[in-house]
Formats: sequence, structure tokens, C-alpha cells
Amino acid sequence: MTPSTAQTTDTVRKTLHLALVGNPNSGKSTVFNQLTGLRQKTGNFPGVTVDVKEGRLRFPSGQEAALTDYPGAYSLYPNSSDEKMAAAVLTNPRDAHYPDAVLYVADVTHLEKHLLLFTQILDLGLPVLLALNMADSAAAQGIKVNPAKLSERFGVPVLLVSGRTGEGMQRLIGELEKLLRASLLTPAERKPFYALTELEKQVAEAVRHNLGVTNPYQALLVAHHNAWLPFLRPADRETLAAIVQTKNFQSLRTQVDETLDRFDRFTPIVQEAVQHPPTFPSTPTDKLDEVLTHRVAGPIIFFGVMLLIFQAIFDWSDYPMSWIEHGFGSLSDWLKAVMPATWFTDLLTDGILAGLSGILVFVPQIALLFLLVTILEEVGYMARVVFMFDKTMRRFGMNGRSVVALISGGACAVPAIMSTRTIGNWQERLITIFVTPFISCSARIPVYLVLIGLAVPAVTVWGIFNAQTLVFGGLYALGVVAAFLSGWVLKKVLRTREPSYLAIELPVYRMPHWKNVWHTVWEKVLAFVLGAGKIILYVSILLWGLSRFGPGNDISNAAVSAKQEAVGQNLNEEETEDLMAQRRLEASYAGQMGRAIEPAIRPLGYDWKIGIALLTSFAAREVFTGTLAVLYQMGSAEGDITARQETKAKATLRATMKKETFRDNGRPVYTMATALSLLVFYALAMQCMSTLAVVSRETGSWKWALWQFLFMSGLAYLGAWAVYQIFS
Amino acid sequence: MQRRYRTVPDLKSHESAQAISFENPVLACKLTSMGVLPGARIEMVRQSPFGNAYYVKVDGVRMALRWEEAASILIEV
Repeated sequence: MTPSTAQTTDTVRKTLHLALVGNPNSGKSTVFNQLTGLRQKTGNFPGVTVDVKEGRLRFPSGQEAALTDYPGAYSLYPNSSDEKMAAAVLTNPRDAHYPDAVLYVADVTHLEKHLLLFTQILDLGLPVLLALNMADSAAAQGIKVNPAKLSERFGVPVLLVSGRTGEGMQRLIGELEKLLRASLLTPAERKPFYALTELEKQVAEAVRHNLGVTNPYQALLVAHHNAWLPFLRPADRETLAAIVQTKNFQSLRTQVDETLDRFDRFTPIVQEAVQHPPTFPSTPTDKLDEVLTHRVAGPIIFFGVMLLIFQAIFDWSDYPMSWIEHGFGSLSDWLKAVMPATWFTDLLTDGILAGLSGILVFVPQIALLFLLVTILEEVGYMARVVFMFDKTMRRFGMNGRSVVALISGGACAVPAIMSTRTIGNWQERLITIFVTPFISCSARIPVYLVLIGLAVPAVTVWGIFNAQTLVFGGLYALGVVAAFLSGWVLKKVLRTREPSYLAIELPVYRMPHWKNVWHTVWEKVLAFVLGAGKIILYVSILLWGLSRFGPGNDISNAAVSAKQEAVGQNLNEEETEDLMAQRRLEASYAGQMGRAIEPAIRPLGYDWKIGIALLTSFAAREVFTGTLAVLYQMGSAEGDITARQETKAKATLRATMKKETFRDNGRPVYTMATALSLLVFYALAMQCMSTLAVVSRETGSWKWALWQFLFMSGLAYLGAWAVYQIFS
Repeated sequence: MQRRYRTVPDLKSHESAQAISFENPVLACKLTSMGVLPGARIEMVRQSPFGNAYYVKVDGVRMALRWEEAASILIEV
């Protein structure tokens, strides 16, 4: 099909925008992935702090359109920040993302529950195409559908499709293009689906008169949502509030009445067009749920699944992690060998490459955890977990939906915090965001491993347990306990009268759709690499600067004296290098800062060298091990120190660290008490700039990020102090 | 005094009843948008392991409701 010249010039003028809208569990994302393939990216909409996926859709004519995947919503009367997205954009034709047409996806097997939002969008006067998704399931269940009938009654094109099998996708694309063309030539003229009541008409008319909103339903929605719609100016809000007041417009009651009226209108249409078999077939879902949500078996199975997941993460990610570390190690060695020994080479190898390696080394663990969590979500299991633990979580100020965020926190707090958007109640969401960073993330693991390897003997206790494994497990448990206790405390402190909901659909169990799984995992890993990673990289460069440069000639003087010292001690080349690296770091800005904070950390059992490591790992925890390696003249053997197995380098480092003494009283630094105190500090402290950045973005201000930082650091300081006092 | 109405938590396991109306307008707003409507057939499947939440079927659609939500749905006696 070749478009006529007139149409081409007409449509080239601007990018066409299509909105993909539907209820949660309508299989919308599957349709989105089918339509756009890999041509998609996550974008941020100003005003609503929700990331949405945008993809490009290519029509047979070669024309392209931008397709935006809106978070699932039941209605234009939203209950969570996720759901608000659709209402915020669709009520504002001046929004840059206001769509030219809407692709509405509904689950055809439960069509009678999926059309509320559809009829609301109809009344906004937007061109709509109704895609009846899950045609394959409908056929398997013996459900008979008549799309032509629906099309006739709703006055929009209706297509039967399946996102899973790809059925009907080509036709869908063709129909979408036709719809867009037609709507550009003649705007959709449709009789409203829902007839406004007399009062609603008056309110809509008043809004039109004052704000110039022409579509009556849109005007009505603006009146309903006058308190929060992001595009309204303060003056508009006042006007709208006055209208609502003078007309005695009861928003809540009107919403319910409208919803019921819409259901009353479309239910007969659905009954006419969709024939269900006489009885609901007994499905495997019911049988599975008898066990999986059982009072006793349910929670036991859940903890078993969690144990398996974390076991898998530790076992399987070991190899790719060491490949990444060795790869970057060799690349950096090679660059040092071939490039001239200048500050630029240093910046490249010790700053940028070290930073990149520090980011990418976590990718295998993060990808694996999200792969497993996404599979559980796709299968339908996570909704059951939300159901089972809602009560438990509420006791600690959270919501059943918080479980998903807390589990994800085991990989990385950044994507975990972003997943809290499905929690409707602001207080529950805030508490979840607040406590998620207490869960031990992958960046804490190397720190734990090094310190445990150094401080805890690998002996068997109580007959069967390895003492090192016990301490490791104990640190995870400490994180979980800290998260829940903080939640409990915050619940007492914060007060809100906002309603809180559980109400969640428990979808039918089904095989995961692998395309969706890959897309989700890819997104989360990207969120980590671009969100957390960027900051880690900047910080590693900054840290490189702080530890490479010092006041005046201190650094070069230190290096010269170290060289003389090395000659005196008859050190070989590598030992000399390590000694010089140590002396340089001690004389650098970072070293000076370490000395400056020593009085503050002395009660925790730390000396100024540990102070340097604390400072350098303030922005990202994993920098700790690298700093220690340099401080104890083991810079050239860093890889062996961070390795999980016992290595010669570890033994040497242990011996070196044992000899460390405090400057003032000469007592040894690395006692069991100091090591335990450090471990507790790292388990509880907020040492992640990326998390703080995400928290401030998700909560809309730096206030909560700052509180979180102070709260966690304070708790870490107190905890470490207590541990040191008890064990020393 | 004998209560004149029942709510969803009064249902025994695998007992079902027709929803009549809602007690709480805020929850009604949320529940109706999810398709829990007056006239819907509500079947109690089971309680959550730690209580306070219910696994129900609304016209065959599986759903989890908190006690407050379930108790806001009035059902036929």
C-alpha cells in the first residue's frame, strides 16, 4: 500500500503518538513487546514520577509511530502513582505525549471486568482500537467471541489477538495505521458512552467556561482530580476547588455511581458478544493454590523458594563474576604496559576501568536475581506472596506488595525502590523505600567476604556449621531485622489517613512468556548500570583524584622516601611498588581526611586507615576492598584478596593486618571486635549515592533521602559501637 | 441483636453469595473499578496463612482482599 502524497506530507509533520492502555494482567506488556520488539526504551514523564516504556512501531507503509506503554490501570480514578499516569496524560491534550490514538488491550477471557477504563477513554473522544488479547486462552477454554458485534456496539475497530502466540499482530498494525489516518482527516465523532448526570453536566460546563476544557468528560475528570493533576496551575486548582464547592460535587460518590452505570451499560454488550461455556472448568490453578497458598504449606514453600534463589545466585554467578574481574584486570595491566606512565594512564586504569569493573561485576548477580523474581512474577506466584504476607508486612508499616521490593533489594536497592510504585498508599510506599536498603545487596558481599575471611576462623561450630557461613548468614539476618524494626518504628512516627489497599487480582498460573522475562531483566540491569553505575563511575573517578593527589609536594616526597626505605629494606620491585602506593595514599587528600575523622571512629575500634576505606566507600560500598588492598601494600594482588576462596594473598594480607597497631597506644587494630564492628557498620550504613539519588527521585525531594542517610548511618554507628564495646 | 446483613468474611470456605452493596465509599470506588459489583457472585476460597486477608472468586475471577475490603462488601443473607 502506497500512501498518497497528500497524506504523506500531512503525517510527516509530527511524530504520531499511540498510547497502549489496559488493566493490570491484560497481557499489555506482551502485546507491547510483540509490536515493538527491541526498539524500545524507558523514558521518564515529567510531572508523574513513573518510568514508562516507549517503543517504535513500523507500519507496512514504512511510516513509524511512537508507542507508549502506560502502567496498568483499572480506571481513570487512580489509586496508585502507577495508575495516575494514564489519568494525568489523557486529561491534558496539551501534554507532549497526548496520544493521537489509543490501543486498548483487554483480556478476552474476563472481558466483563476489563472494559471500564475502555469506555472512559471512549468518552474522552480519542480514537480507540480495542484489542481482545489472549485469544489462545479463550479458544482453549471454549469461549466464543464476536468482535464484529463489539465493534458495532462500541463504534471502534475490534480485533482478536494473542500477545503470546503473535496471532493477529500484523492485522493489528494495519488497523492501527488506518485508524490514525482516519482520525487525522476527520476527528472522531461519537456519542458519549456514559451520559453525564445533571450535576456532572453543570460541573463540566463550569470547567469548560473557566479553563477552556471542551470535552465534557475530560472537564469532569479535571474537576475530580483538581487536587493532584500535575499540569494544573495553582490558580486553576483554586478555581476548580471553588466549582466543586459551590456545586456541592461529591467526588467519591459520583465516581462510584459513574462506574456502576458504565458496567450496567457494557455488561449486556459483552454478554451478547462473548459466549462462555456453561460451566467454569476446574483449572490447575485451583489445585496449585490449594498447596501454594495453604495456611501452613504456603509460607514454608515461600521460604524454601527464597533459599533456593539465593543459593542459586551465590553458586551460579561466581564464574561470570571472576571472568569480568580478570578481564578488566588484564586489560588494565595491558594498558599500563603499553601506555606511558602518566597521570592519564592512571586515571584510565585505576579510575575509569576500575570503576567500570566495579559496576559490571555485579551484573551477573543482579541479572540472576531479577531473572528468578521475574519468572515468579510472570508465572503468577508473586501475587500469591503478596496475599500471604500482607498482614505480616502491615504490622511493620508496609504492604503485601513490599515483599517484591524487599526480595529485589537482595540484588540492588535501585531497581527494588523503583518497583514500589505499585504500592498505592504513600506511607506504606515511603516506609518500603526507606527500609529496602537495609537488605544486604550484592555490593555488600565482597566486603563481607573479605572481612569474614580475615576475622572469623573457618572452624566448625555446634558440630555442623562453618563459623564463617554462620556470620555471613547472620549479617543477612541483621539486615532483614533492621528493615522490619525500622518499618515498625516508622509506622509509629508517620501518620496518614490515606486509604491503603490490598485488593489484587490473582492471575491464572501460566508458563512465563520468555520474551517478557528477557525484556524485564534487561530493563532492571539497565536501571542498575545506568542509574547506580553512572554514580559509581563518577565516584570512582573522584576517589581516584582524592587518593592520587595531595596537598603541596606531600605525595612526591612520600614516594621518594618510600623508595629509599625500600632500598634500605632490600625489597623486590613489586614490594617496592606496593610500599610506594601505600605511602602515596597515606599522603593524599584521602589519607588526610582519614586522619581527620579518626577521633570520630575511634570508639568503633577503627584507625585512620580504616577511616580512609570508610570515606572511599561512602559513595559505593564495594570500593572498600580495593582501598584496603592498597593500604596494606597488596594493591597488585587485589583480585586474589577479593576472591572467595582462600588464597596466598589473603594469608599475607591477614598477616600484615595483624601487625597493624594504633598510633597512640600501640595496641593491635584488627581484633575480632573491630572486624565484627566493621561488618555491622557495613550491614547497616547507607553507603550508596545511587540509592540516595533514586530515593530522592521517587519521593520527589531530597528530604527523605537525607533522613534515610542520617537514620541508617546513625544506626550503623550505634550498632558498630555497641558491638565493639561488647567484644573488646 | 441479630445482624440484618452479612459481609464477605462471614462466608465459610467454598460458600458463595451475591454482593448487594458497599459500606465504605472509598473502598467501593476501588472495588467497583476492579469489577466487584453489586450482583456479583462472590465465593470464599480460603483465608491467608496469617489471617486478615481472603482469597475469593468474584464471578470466577480470583482476587485477594484484605479484611477491611472484604468486610465492606455486603452480601445477601
